[in-house]
Amino acid sequence: MKITVHYTINSKACDLEVDAGETLLEALRNRLKLTSVHRSCEEGECGACTVLLNGEPVNSCLMLAAAADGADILTTEGLMRGDQRHPIMDAFVDLHGMQCGFCTPGLLMTGYSLVRKANGGDLDEATIRQSIEGNLCRCTGYMNIVKAIQEAKRRKDAGDWW
Amino acid sequence: MNQFIGSRALPDLVYHRPGTMDDLLGLVKGIEGEYRVVAGCTDFIPAIRGGKWRFADGINVVDIRGVKALSGIREEKGEIVMGAATRLSDILVSPVIREKAPVLADAVSQMASPQVRNTATVGGNLCMASPAADTAPPLLVLDAKVAWRTADGEETTPLNKFFLGPGATVLPPRSVLTEIRFPAPGPDEAARRTRMGQRTAFVCSIISVAVWLRGGPEKIEAARIAMGAVAPTPILITAAESVLIGKKPNEATLAEAAKTAASNIAPIDDLRATADYRKSLAETLTRRLLAACVGDLA
Repeated sequence: MKITVHYTINSKACDLEVDAGETLLEALRNRLKLTSVHRSCEEGECGACTVLLNGEPVNSCLMLAAAADGADILTTEGLMRGDQRHPIMDAFVDLHGMQCGFCTPGLLMTGYSLVRKANGGDLDEATIRQSIEGNLCRCTGYMNIVKAIQEAKRRKDAGDWW
Repeated sequence: MNQFIGSRALPDLVYHRPGTMDDLLGLVKGIEGEYRVVAGCTDFIPAIRGGKWRFADGINVVDIRGVKALSGIREEKGEIVMGAATRLSDILVSPVIREKAPVLADAVSQMASPQVRNTATVGGNLCMASPAADTAPPLLVLDAKVAWRTADGEETTPLNKFFLGPGATVLPPRSVLTEIRFPAPGPDEAARRTRMGQRTAFVCSIISVAVWLRGGPEKIEAARIAMGAVAPTPILITAAESVLIGKKPNEATLAEAAKTAASNIAPIDDLRATADYRKSLAETLTRRLLAACVGDLA
């Protein structure tokens, strides 16, 4: 069964014909070529396929493309401003918040969502670690990822674009 | 559609997303062939990919998330009512739950991951009927009832009578779980829960325990103890209640109740833990939770 869905993807409206048995991950990667959305475990354990759905992180591998009809979807591509990296990406680069990079897009989306919603002073380590519980990284041991997200919050507070 | 290498494709689905309760019930009543009622799909999709469920092409999938009335949490005539399609993350931030039933928010906060909680629903957790369903023990001790509807009417049953076995419930064919409701706890009540897993996030519980007490420091008037992952379904352990009711909640009473609870479960050895370890945990965790509840009542 084919279904036509309407998404707002990275601030652009988009009509798309999908199979009913197709996941959002498959639609984003295969049809829209948004290859920052990584396919890994396909059972919601690893978080590599995390995208923001109406501003909240979800596993795109666990959602039918049809069920996301009408949603506002943000992927890592949508964080870029032209060729310019988003400040959270710069923070990950500057603080070595990645090694192989496979988990990075998912962590960027989860981290971005956390920092965007956070008010007040620095994010503490426990808060960050709790919010990235659903993102597995097998390289870094998370230390620099946590520091990068903390740094991203400082840059946001210092007035860097967000 | 090209599949990813090594991925088990979902079958070709016939996807339905009714927008009202009447449309939903009419659809489910008249549907022909195999069908599944789904909400968040966070169990549905892995169950197919992992080979636990196999469906032929053309299976009907009825997504209930289009029906607004099935989501949300409200307080009504002394009861807290949750729509079956209420997301786990909505429970976590609900002011009603945080104030009146923090024990449920506590359980949900340790379920799966933030990403899954943003999609998965409380009704889905109950309908999958995992022995380790983490919303079940707190809801059991809160004396929850579940309601389902068919095109012909509504039925309600205590959650305690809802589970039949792993993956099996009393939900009749062509019905849709609609609500979970429980009495809003009063000031002379306390409830606590905990669980044991390999790590905090995203693991199936080795054991989960919830307890509820009503009374004061001099006398326990009512008690409930529930556990997950110690039997074919989440269970309410009534045998320990009589040990507590009418007694002063001192150390000896609580210890005896915990011992009684642990001797009335039938856990199994599996890849997560041995039965003996679960029994030992059941006693220790129950005793600690009872003591914590007594502290809350003081």
